[in-house]
Amino acid sequence: MSQQNASHGSDRIIGVLLLSLSVAYGFEARSLEADFLADPLGPKAFPLLLAAALGIFSLYLILRPDPDPKWPPRNVLLGQGLMLLSFVVYSYALAPLGFLLSTTLEMGALSRLFGASWGRGLLAGALLAGALYVIFVFGLGIPLPLGRWWPR
Amino acid sequence: MKRFWIGGILALALSMATGAAAFSPGNVECIAPANPGGGWDFTCRTGGKLLYDLGITKRPVKVTNMPGGGGGVAFAHVVTQRKNDNNLLVAASPATTLRLAQGKYGNFTENDVRWLAAIGADFGVIAVKADAPWKTLDDLIADIKKDPSKIAIGGGSSVGGQDHMKVLLLAKAAGINPKALKYVPFDGGGEALTAMLGGFVQVFPGDASETVGQMQAGKIRILAVLSEKRLGGDFADIPTARELGYDAVWAVWRGFYMPPGASDDAYAFWVDAMKKVEASPEWVKIRDESGLGPFYKGGAEFEAFIKKQVKDFRELSKALGLIK
Amino acid sequence: MDVFTSLLHGFQVALTPLNLSLAFAGTFLGTLIGALPGIGPVNGVAILIPIAYALKLPPESALILLAGVYYGAEYGGRIASILLNVPGDAGAVITTLDGYPMAQKGNAGEALALSAISSFIGGTLAVIGLTLFAPYLAEWAIKFGPAEYFALMVFAFSTLASLAGKNPVKALIASVFGLMLATVGIDPGSGVPRFTFGEMKLYDGVDFLVVAIGLFAISEVLTLLEHSYSGSAAQMKVRTTLVSFKTFMYSLWSILRSALIGFFIGVLPGAGASIASAVAYTTEKRLVDREGTFGTGDPRGVAAPEAANNAASGGAMVPMLTLGVPGSGTTAVLLGALMMFNVTPGPLIFEQRPEIVWGLIASMYIGNVMLLVLNLPLVGLFARILTVPRWLLVPSIAALSFIGVYAVNNSAFDLLFMTGIGIVGYLMRKAGFPLAPVILGLVLGRLMEVNLRRALSISGGDWTILYASPLSKALWILAIVSLLFPWLMGLFASRKGGRGSGER
Repeated sequence: MSQQNASHGSDRIIGVLLLSLSVAYGFEARSLEADFLADPLGPKAFPLLLAAALGIFSLYLILRPDPDPKWPPRNVLLGQGLMLLSFVVYSYALAPLGFLLSTTLEMGALSRLFGASWGRGLLAGALLAGALYVIFVFGLGIPLPLGRWWPR
Repeated sequence: MKRFWIGGILALALSMATGAAAFSPGNVECIAPANPGGGWDFTCRTGGKLLYDLGITKRPVKVTNMPGGGGGVAFAHVVTQRKNDNNLLVAASPATTLRLAQGKYGNFTENDVRWLAAIGADFGVIAVKADAPWKTLDDLIADIKKDPSKIAIGGGSSVGGQDHMKVLLLAKAAGINPKALKYVPFDGGGEALTAMLGGFVQVFPGDASETVGQMQAGKIRILAVLSEKRLGGDFADIPTARELGYDAVWAVWRGFYMPPGASDDAYAFWVDAMKKVEASPEWVKIRDESGLGPFYKGGAEFEAFIKKQVKDFRELSKALGLIK
Repeated sequence: MDVFTSLLHGFQVALTPLNLSLAFAGTFLGTLIGALPGIGPVNGVAILIPIAYALKLPPESALILLAGVYYGAEYGGRIASILLNVPGDAGAVITTLDGYPMAQKGNAGEALALSAISSFIGGTLAVIGLTLFAPYLAEWAIKFGPAEYFALMVFAFSTLASLAGKNPVKALIASVFGLMLATVGIDPGSGVPRFTFGEMKLYDGVDFLVVAIGLFAISEVLTLLEHSYSGSAAQMKVRTTLVSFKTFMYSLWSILRSALIGFFIGVLPGAGASIASAVAYTTEKRLVDREGTFGTGDPRGVAAPEAANNAASGGAMVPMLTLGVPGSGTTAVLLGALMMFNVTPGPLIFEQRPEIVWGLIASMYIGNVMLLVLNLPLVGLFARILTVPRWLLVPSIAALSFIGVYAVNNSAFDLLFMTGIGIVGYLMRKAGFPLAPVILGLVLGRLMEVNLRRALSISGGDWTILYASPLSKALWILAIVSLLFPWLMGLFASRKGGRGSGER
């Protein structure tokens, strides 16, 4: 295996991804139809220009990649993956579970990833969630979801 | 005989009980389908405040901003997630009906919600610079007919939006081919007005409230107001387009709709509440201060008005090639 | 001169106990509101309008309160940007570029203090400009038509080249990505939705704040996790000292130039704090960044955008007061507030309601001073936030980011989008792509495209309109000079070096 190639793969992969993005973007742009036009360029022109530019730049990246960065080891990636998963769950949980409960849980989970115990994490989470709730709802008058389980 | 009386009294008691179970508001929420600061936000905040001040609601009305899709995100949310909520009001205006007509709210239509009432309106105007060669609307129309490409019309909405529709309506009424008009879209009335002051566009089809300051300063001239009757105050001397022979009216009404599953009692309650708000001296004061004019339609009358408006917008948009 | 007597009247209005306490309350509340990411000046002001109305305050007092909130929120946004790399609002993004590295090096106190002082100078200079030149500025601002805006955006973009860093192609890719994000949404020139894939939430385009917070804050959280595993997350030493006089003098010219740039950009309707801070930052980078320290914690990299965005906020008042046209999102809200109080902004406002205009202007001077007085002592307190242990700090950053975005838009979609952008941001950072050009592309891209198309629409397809007016010609020359600048500087430097050393 060529040492040269192995240590430049990241940029090449990114370049390929970007190239496919520019192609997809360009295709989508071509399909834009407008019946009523206020200007001679229309909705297509600018996006097509951008697609071409990105295509050229990504080719450059493929042909002249920078050396690879240090990607994190498996266990770190796992941690990051869990963090991202928690973000997704949190996003969906805010409405049904309400702000207080979901934020407390989320902060507990995140604290765990950083080495704190569940107890500390959940307690800190509850406190912060409570403080934020007071600030937003009573201080700013911005409503925050209470959750479907809360008696109305 | 006795049974008849007992039955009758029971029936009477029952009907009185259900009659007495009329709607009473709980935690009321008003959704403004836009970011803070815009017209819908204003409608919710002032409307909500008046409802509370007039004692119609026991607690202050909660205002939630739900921007996105030009009001479409809130619309979808209300129809799908808040179907039976009797305590939910949503701010609306012709921006809502126009988008419904043009299919910009996905598969939702005007029949998906219950239209409550409108309590005030701004009106479209046709404005030009004070030193422009056109002294009357007729002058302007004549020049546009001669060569549409020479006159740039700058509005605050995108193509197909309110400011654009105003001129398209006017063109139709004047016998000009709408597609020949040169409409330049800006990000909001303020920017379009500035562009006109700078001479980059020649006509500004904005709203009356946007033009008051410049008009008082004598920097712009308003050729016509797109209303049914003349406006008061500073606009008393300005003819309506109708007076001049062009049947074009554009009332930017401010109103509300409710979820489709709102009970009839709740709906009736809120229609009545809106009537009270509209008639209140507090509202008249706010309305005058914000440059809006009187406009009231409620309940069934409003529903019919909306249905007709969406139908008209739909036909107009089709005829103008804005939608298929 | 007339102006000074009017200003004196204004001070009389502003210096009443009621108005002074309102100014204080406003700036204090504003700082708190602005410190919460996602809740920027716009929301803060909008939220307080009904309260101001309910308190039955006279118009000048209400305006003073709201303007205080506006100013305070601008400042509050810096706190989260510098300490946590979470931009509080559009104008704060550029501050993160050097502010956060400064905090990481332990100089949080210095960064915050410098930010306060630069904001003060920028804001005050802007108010002076507003006082003396408002009507003339309005006349000047009107001369900017679509062609001129386009040329200005090209100029702003050309200054981007200085953000290139080691790999210019990667910077270009980043800006193209930002430009591509800017094209998402309903196209104003045709009413056609672009790249929305049927998702209504994207009709209004990609939310700038969601992108900024995702790109900076979420990617930062991911990075911090990586560091904590590898043990390179030693607890930061936080020096809570204020800025030294030496550092201040070092940054002074940057502050003054940036204030000027920020003010003029703020005066133009539609161009606000984010563009002002970006252009100021990149301009300073070009002019004074000899050793390439910008981006690693150079104090001038904090001073420049801070002076610029407060100057821009002040500048935005010009079109609002003189034309009745909002110069930025927040002034649009202030405008709404004015109308609610039965004040019609426009050319006549100086004559019709001088007490309001001059009262407002006077309160802006006072507000600037108050911000400085309020915040400098608190700098130490704020900086101590960083001594909080990682396991508490990082989840708090995440929670604040999520809640800031959700509280305003009520949309889980925004949160998911933000997370996605956060992943992209993390990958970009690892692979050496600069983040700032994405933001610039997003902000400038739309303005560039719509103005180009407006200009062509007006001219009926004639491209010469783009350089027809003297103003646009001047802007183009500026843009070309700006593009060639590094090359020109390189030319001078090598000449000097060649003559001096003689060894190559």
